[in-house]
Amino acid sequence: MFAYIARRILYVIPIALGVTVIIFGLVHIAPGDPLNAVVPPDAPKETVQILIEAYGFDKPIPVQYAIWLGRALSGDFGISFATGRPVAEAIAGGVVNTLILAAGAILIGMTLGCLIGAIAGYYQGSWIDKLATGFAIAGVSVPHYWLGLVLVIIFSVEMNVLPAMGMGPGGAKDWAWDQAHMRHLILPVITLSVIPIGIITRSVRATVAEILTMEFVQTLEAKGLKSFRIFLHVCANAAPTVLAVSGLQIGYLLGGSILVETVFSWPGTGFLLNDAIFRRDIPLLQGVILVLAMFFVVMNLLVDILQSLIDPRMARS
Amino acid sequence: MIDRRTFGRGVAAVLGGAALTALSLSPALTKPAEAQGTLRLGMTLADIPVSFGQPDQGFEGFRFMGLMLYDALINWDMTADDKPSALIPGLAESWSVNKDDPTKWTFNLRKGVKFHDGSTFNADAVIFNFDKLLDKDSPQFSARQGSLVNFRIPSIKSYKKIDDYTVEFTTHEPSGFVPFQLCYILMASPAQWEKTGKDWNEFGKTPSGTGPWKLAALAPRESVEFVPFKEHWDTSRVPKLDKVIALPIPDPNARTAALLSGQVDWIEAPAPDAIPRIESQGFKMVANVYPHIWSWHLSRVEGSPWNDIRVRKAANLAIDREGIKALLGGYAIPAVGHVTPTDPWFGEPTFKVKFDPEAAKALLKEAGFSTDNPVNIKAMISASGSGQMLPLQMNEYMQQNLADVGIKIDFEVTEWNALIDLWRAGAKSPQANGAHVINVSYTTQDPYSAFTRFMRSDLSAPKGVNWGYYDDPEMDALLRTADGAFDPAERDAILAKVHARAVDDAAFIWVVHDVAPRAMTTKVKGYVQSRNWFQSLTSVYME
Amino acid sequence: MADTTPVAAGLAEAAIDDTQVAAKSRSYWTTVWQSLLRDPVTLVFAGILITILMSTIFADVLAPADPFKTNMVKRLKPIGTPGFLLGADELGRDMLSRLLHGGRLSLVMGISPVALALVIGGMLGLTAGFLGGKTNMAIMRTIDVFYAFPSVLLAIAISGALGAGIVNAIISLTIVFIPPIARVTESVTTQIRNLDYVEAARASGANAFTIIRAHVLSNVAGPVFIYSTSLISVSIILASGLSFLGLGTEPPKPEWGLMLNTLRQSIYVSPWVAALPGAMIFLTSLSFNMLSDGLRTAMDIRL
Repeated sequence: MFAYIARRILYVIPIALGVTVIIFGLVHIAPGDPLNAVVPPDAPKETVQILIEAYGFDKPIPVQYAIWLGRALSGDFGISFATGRPVAEAIAGGVVNTLILAAGAILIGMTLGCLIGAIAGYYQGSWIDKLATGFAIAGVSVPHYWLGLVLVIIFSVEMNVLPAMGMGPGGAKDWAWDQAHMRHLILPVITLSVIPIGIITRSVRATVAEILTMEFVQTLEAKGLKSFRIFLHVCANAAPTVLAVSGLQIGYLLGGSILVETVFSWPGTGFLLNDAIFRRDIPLLQGVILVLAMFFVVMNLLVDILQSLIDPRMARS
Repeated sequence: MIDRRTFGRGVAAVLGGAALTALSLSPALTKPAEAQGTLRLGMTLADIPVSFGQPDQGFEGFRFMGLMLYDALINWDMTADDKPSALIPGLAESWSVNKDDPTKWTFNLRKGVKFHDGSTFNADAVIFNFDKLLDKDSPQFSARQGSLVNFRIPSIKSYKKIDDYTVEFTTHEPSGFVPFQLCYILMASPAQWEKTGKDWNEFGKTPSGTGPWKLAALAPRESVEFVPFKEHWDTSRVPKLDKVIALPIPDPNARTAALLSGQVDWIEAPAPDAIPRIESQGFKMVANVYPHIWSWHLSRVEGSPWNDIRVRKAANLAIDREGIKALLGGYAIPAVGHVTPTDPWFGEPTFKVKFDPEAAKALLKEAGFSTDNPVNIKAMISASGSGQMLPLQMNEYMQQNLADVGIKIDFEVTEWNALIDLWRAGAKSPQANGAHVINVSYTTQDPYSAFTRFMRSDLSAPKGVNWGYYDDPEMDALLRTADGAFDPAERDAILAKVHARAVDDAAFIWVVHDVAPRAMTTKVKGYVQSRNWFQSLTSVYME
Repeated sequence: MADTTPVAAGLAEAAIDDTQVAAKSRSYWTTVWQSLLRDPVTLVFAGILITILMSTIFADVLAPADPFKTNMVKRLKPIGTPGFLLGADELGRDMLSRLLHGGRLSLVMGISPVALALVIGGMLGLTAGFLGGKTNMAIMRTIDVFYAFPSVLLAIAISGALGAGIVNAIISLTIVFIPPIARVTESVTTQIRNLDYVEAARASGANAFTIIRAHVLSNVAGPVFIYSTSLISVSIILASGLSFLGLGTEPPKPEWGLMLNTLRQSIYVSPWVAALPGAMIFLTSLSFNMLSDGLRTAMDIRL
């Protein structure tokens, strides 16, 4: 068991290195002058040259990679081209803001997903099950950027009862868990929760349906155990799956909320990524992608380890 | 079988949890309280401009950061909304050019001016700030700040202190445009730079200039707060508000939503289609002509169809500018030249830029083209960008207009920064890939930005942004004469000739001038929208 | 298109070659077909999908107006305006015509990455699974690295680096879908390779290619193909998402994601017209998912 966990942790190292190579390579195949974001259109050649040297773009690519990797390991992602401010600070702020959204979405996703999934699994084959399954499929089929827009149209444009964008008074800086700010959470969180609801519903339904046919449940019943205990058993057995799916969904949401954040102008990592792409802000672009990918890798790792702790049979070689 | 009711109870427990969650997220319809005398403003920028001296993010960076915190030797007069703004004395009380050697300029500095940190402004501070930009060996040299502004002062060769309140500038060659260049160089406090560990990034956290506003707080990407500098040297420019909070909201829809939901009191450039809604909800719109032109630059390299003046004129006559104005919610002025007819530089062109598709067809027929045998044009446009208004929709509209008379346009869409790169590279460069048009918009605030850089043949790409290799010896001569004119009236007269010649030559395809629409609550009072890219918030107050 | 890929073609060929397999698969396909006929939901969505496909293919004939023709007087007319059944967009172009034409690019950009990834990922997975050992290690570990990115992030990162454009969007989505397809193919292939009769064929010195064709492909193709169809739905959402961000199609080409992007600026004037392109994306993606689900049940495949 512990050997498995150790192996699993060690395996992250080559993956992480591979990830850094991909990110660095991606950013450097990008067409266009990397200094566009910094230099105005008619800046003289000499100033441009000074900046090229200041940012180290005159060095060979492998050297640039080594320098970048070395600094990134110590948490230094460099200085944003566009703003002259440390990239790490921008990312830290963005991650917190996106986590607020992702946490809300996962909370709703787990609650509703387990609920609908459990009912559907229990009444497998009935019209309730068909309805729930259809709902789940709709959840994973919906383009969430469009759903967000539709919610804005209904609740902001037509009814004018909920704010359409932003994090509320004072923005992220003055964020508080009060009504004035929470109102701003409602639409983006609902939008983001639809996919986790769909995915969790599907897996819970399958798990519950499977467990109910298992021998031990039939045995428990034969023993005359109260059905509530059986319900608890079912929950305990479904937990690892729900946990795994939810954990992975948090990772997905953190990297995948870019479209929803764009719709709601939510100042999270997705917004930051969008900005970095369109302003060709290379240090920011590299930093954001790296942090999001690493977060995803670590979530995967945690999910695997937790699963193997709960259920040792899950430990794969 | 399991008892369904008991199973249901378990389900109910979970449901209860969900209900609690839903409850804590329930909407509250109360609006946040507003502080008295605080203006909350939504900018179009994606981020707060840098605060350490020379701002980034173009003219909006100057508007909402540079000219808030700092003054230049020469300032723009932002008090009038009925005439183009003029240059007025700033930290220099007066300036003059040496009659015997017109490359030498003497600036007499204002006495008794204090920086925000209490230190005194003098000639040493001027030299300090120019060294910061131009002297690589000075300890305060900042390549980043230099890259942001040095291209605006191409004439400056050297500078020296004469006495504590006199500075002399030497130019490469005689140029009457020097005041239009020096108005971009902002004066930061040398004492504060020493105090912040001689580090410009640190300085940016507690910046000190002589401007009417002091920086109170700055959260990157989120907000910036300014409070009045009560000791400003010009008492008429001491701000009336207690505080300005500016938020970067790059998406036009999001800005509109922020205004409608009461999150901000003022937004720059609302989404054009949302303007009726904004007005119907009791907000007011403010707009004014200002020196901006949205145009197509034409390639004049060999083989370009634009080398035929009939094609250039036809294109100018084919465009339904009123239609484009409607597209922009009515907030635009159809262009009849590079500047508006109310501008002293407009002159008296004989070619009338207007919508006359029949005349356009006739010209094209003369040139040998028709709708069946159209002129084929490749145009490079951006999907968004500073000052580009609604580039996709406007260009698509023009594409349709031009197709109707026999000019077929193919677009190559790039993002704004890439387009700037292509602009710099020129029409002959491999990146341009044979394009005949580049769609850019920019300021016409000073003669260099308005005319010289696009039309002087020695500023052809990659040396300058004469993207299309416009080459007209007579225009070159006119531009040089204008540059050498030191009397503003004489200079304006020559520039009027420059402009009339450009229009008669149909040197560009002129489309519209922006009017910088702003939407605000009726509580915002005292704002004067000057005919300038820069605006002053010092007269504004909240009712 | 997904149904003409070499993997699927290989399936048919294998069926002819090997009488035993052929007999089995003939009755198998009859069963699948019969169970599909008994599934009205899947049939309805298959019908919707066919309608969408047909109407975009024949958009030239069906569209009531030129999708590029602007008309400033009619801009942002609401749904139901005479002459503009589904309203007009921000340049006064007929929405119905643009939606019909727009489906072409959305479908091409959604389906072709999965088809390409099916070919490339399928070959990688087959190779890794059949050869095993070091080759398997090399291929699968490289793929694991791509797995370290959430799919949306990877698609946007690659598109952002390559720049806007249809081809770039297709490339980036293809790269996104290669790893999952390769992984599924590899795991199914490995299972089959270890089956007794395949082991026996290998031991008897049969040509590797023959084994793949006769045994492996026939058993791998089904699951992998079904898995791929479920990816089309994701692919369509992502492709239009890239356009929505300004990283996919370039204007004035009609494409659902891009239309959603430009109409977003007009939600205060004509909100429901702005929502239409997204509804089409939803309907298409939902139909692919329902169809994939129905096929999976009918073919009795568990992934």
